[in-house]
Amino acid sequence: MTSNYRKWPMTLFLGILTAPIILMYFYLFVDTVTNSPPGSMIPNEWTLEHWRFLWQTLPGKPTIWVATWNTFLFASSTTLIVLFISSAAGYSLSRLNMPGRSFFLGGVMVLHAFPTVTLLIAIFLILQMVGLYNTLTGVILVKASLELPFGIWIMKGFYDTVPWEIEMAGIQDGASRFQVWIQLVLPQVKPGIFSLGIFSFLAGWSEFILPLVLAPNNDVQVLSVYLSSLIFDETNFDMGLFKSIGLFYVIPVIILFLFFQNKLMNIYSGGTQG
Amino acid sequence: MDLTHTRSSEVIKTNWFTTLTNSKHLGLILLVPAFVFILMFFVVPVFLTGVFGFTNMSTATGITGDSYLASQSSMLQLKDRHGMTALADDLSKIVYTIDTIGLEAAAQEGANQQTLDELSTKFLGQNFDNRRDVERIIKRLNHRPNNTRAIKAISKHFERSVLNTRYDSQDKLLTAIDNFGIKLNDTEAKAVIDVTYTGWVFTTENFKRMISLPDTKKTFINTLFYVFTTLILFNVGFALVLAISTHYMNSGPAGFFRSLWLLPRITPPVLYVLMWKWLAWDTGFISAILGPFGILPKNWLLDSPTNAWFFIILINGLVGASMGMLIFSSAIKAIPTSLFHASEVDGATRVQQIRHIILPAIRFPILFITTYQTLSLMTSFEYILLATEGGPGGSTEVWALATYFKALNNYMGMLEYGYGSALALVLVVVGVVVSLFYLKIFDFKSLTADPKIE
Repeated sequence: MTSNYRKWPMTLFLGILTAPIILMYFYLFVDTVTNSPPGSMIPNEWTLEHWRFLWQTLPGKPTIWVATWNTFLFASSTTLIVLFISSAAGYSLSRLNMPGRSFFLGGVMVLHAFPTVTLLIAIFLILQMVGLYNTLTGVILVKASLELPFGIWIMKGFYDTVPWEIEMAGIQDGASRFQVWIQLVLPQVKPGIFSLGIFSFLAGWSEFILPLVLAPNNDVQVLSVYLSSLIFDETNFDMGLFKSIGLFYVIPVIILFLFFQNKLMNIYSGGTQG
Repeated sequence: MDLTHTRSSEVIKTNWFTTLTNSKHLGLILLVPAFVFILMFFVVPVFLTGVFGFTNMSTATGITGDSYLASQSSMLQLKDRHGMTALADDLSKIVYTIDTIGLEAAAQEGANQQTLDELSTKFLGQNFDNRRDVERIIKRLNHRPNNTRAIKAISKHFERSVLNTRYDSQDKLLTAIDNFGIKLNDTEAKAVIDVTYTGWVFTTENFKRMISLPDTKKTFINTLFYVFTTLILFNVGFALVLAISTHYMNSGPAGFFRSLWLLPRITPPVLYVLMWKWLAWDTGFISAILGPFGILPKNWLLDSPTNAWFFIILINGLVGASMGMLIFSSAIKAIPTSLFHASEVDGATRVQQIRHIILPAIRFPILFITTYQTLSLMTSFEYILLATEGGPGGSTEVWALATYFKALNNYMGMLEYGYGSALALVLVVVGVVVSLFYLKIFDFKSLTADPKIE
């Protein structure tokens, strides 16, 4: 083994670069259950007061449970819509010979990279006109639509890896293309559907700008808007409280990430391997 | 009977069957839901952004477009532009009419019913030019109220004017003028409609304003600076550092570091930026660490434009780096290990390996990440919004954030949808150009290889 292949310098180098992230996460946990004297980073007492939002309603805000339920509803509904529509459209674009196929594919690809902020103003006005402004339904439909090009693209990638032989065998046994899709191909891309589901759920759970613009009212507020409105209000700055709410908010994300890391990496890097 | 029944159901079955067997039909059916969603929330909004960009739509004009308001200034226009001085004076008049609407309103407010009845029988339908006249006739009634305040309270219900009431259609405006007792001919009606219209109109003013405002230039330079600095230093540069350094590690620690560097990306933006605020706050980490060295605590995030940019780039960069890291890592993994072994035998150093083996092999992923991230950096503003809100003093305001502030969130409460859309339209144009480039560098043909059945 030459000096060229020594591992420790690289590990040390990256360790130093990674320190700020570790530090921020470490203090995220520490600061929610302790108090530190001013000007110091070393806690001197244990406390549960930062978690008071769980049993008290903060002034001018809905209860945390309403916001949590809204967030869950938002994330899971968008996930379901994205999964249903992209697994159908993805199959269609991957396998079926139809007019305008490459046009649709190109379209999906352009939209996938398209700046969604540019649509925000028009969407805001459309929702106001049709009366879906400040409703969860409205923001769910919008989020699902904006996620679709990516979902379709990813699902197409997963379908592309399914061997043609499976389908040919199915056709030869007298099944229709529809039956082949439902009974033979869908089970093959189950891991893909699962990964996309996790990804969409996390994307919905973390989404901030869309609910902020399209559904800011208290009764439809999601956790990101709830937390950000507390932070933006500079009259009551309480870092311990904010961090506790933040930790409460991020727990599902961390759990999903710990369990399904590899699936997520797959999607984040373009998701072409099932 | 039985026979025909069987036959027709068979026919239906065959039709249904061919629809689902024929890949052309099935393909289109499966695409319909996606098509509807994308049409509603992608295609229509893009189109409307284009339309709105050429209007002066704002909270003042309303979004439906039909709104008429006869104000002092519109009456001035009627005099100046249309030369209808007499008409303008007539419309500006405040008259007092004893009518049933006024009587009912007064009754509702608790005026004496006998007074109102007498007023109604004696004066119903009569007009008075000023308030004093109305009050005089009320005073002369047999059942007059016993104090001046009550008289004034009754008289105010008969005040009639077309000024300063908002009408949401032309017809309502014209009917109101008609009821007011002014008969308009066609040219007059047109002129009145013209000057009182306050709904939005088509205009190219937005683009002229965009070019002339110094703010635009500043925002433009900010955007360029932000996109290229973050892209070069982090989304590509630091991503390469991460990918290459984890390549030279054992798979255990490499996986650990890669997961750790995914944390900024999977942490919800609101919380992620909150942690940075904690780091930079005047009672936060940096201030506490530097305290013992005699540096006064301050808000490092917002105290100067330089520091604000430093944090903005770091905040976005750490999120952006993870995507490049994953893509570059899998590209490096695809390089045959024999190449590294061979170079090792030839005595190549690590720097030489990176320079001559790794970088040439991942040229294409680097190009891909550069294009993709240029677009996403240019249009993402949520981290900046959460961290600095464009401050201090607009020094970190980028194009997308300016769009958001103009059209959707404004301290004054005056939302300029038209101007915001015009700003967004610039991003649409850039977005389309970059996307086309993106399509080109992606091997589009191989992705659309023809299906192998049929």
